[in-house]
Amino acid sequence: MSRQLLGSLLAAAVIVVVVVVVVTAKFGSTSAAERESLETRQEQRLEAEEERREDAEDRREDER
Amino acid sequence: MEDLVETLTRGNTAEVKVLLASIALALGVYQLTVIAVGYGRLRVPFLAPPPALAAHRAVGDTIALLLLCTGIMCLSVYGFEDERAVHAYAGTALLSVLALKVIVVRRDFGLGRFLPLLGGTVFALLALTWATSAGEFLA
Repeated sequence: MSRQLLGSLLAAAVIVVVVVVVVTAKFGSTSAAERESLETRQEQRLEAEEERREDAEDRREDER
Repeated sequence: MEDLVETLTRGNTAEVKVLLASIALALGVYQLTVIAVGYGRLRVPFLAPPPALAAHRAVGDTIALLLLCTGIMCLSVYGFEDERAVHAYAGTALLSVLALKVIVVRRDFGLGRFLPLLGGTVFALLALTWATSAGEFLA
């Protein structure tokens, strides 16, 4: 009886683990932490691009 | 309460809610199988009805806790939204019928024969509540 009960509860635990793995995999990059890091990376990229553009403009003005 | 939920879920309230509801739904499907063994409708060599009934009770307690947490999170952060009326009504009905089922399981009140009906209703409402929120989120 106790072994069967334990087996049934173990099966339920396996179901929980499978659902956690499948659902979190489905979330992908929608989690807040990942979204934040993605936004930070995008901001850094934009800032770097802007700096490069400003440097190029400064250089062009100096040449004139 | 909203701040507590946001802190506990680290801003991922919807994701945590979807995960908890999905676990509850999957365990609900498992519960249907286990109770079929418990009532002797389904015979499997590796599980007798008494341990199946005990497992059904234990897993049912876990599901009730999961649904309570999900309901509290949902109400405290989102409240009753008009555009999600079906989800709100289904969720409220789910927790109400679940509470009634728990009372009947613990106290009976001569309503024990309605347990299969109550269990089926709980599962149907759980499926509807999941489909109108988590299902759409995961689609």
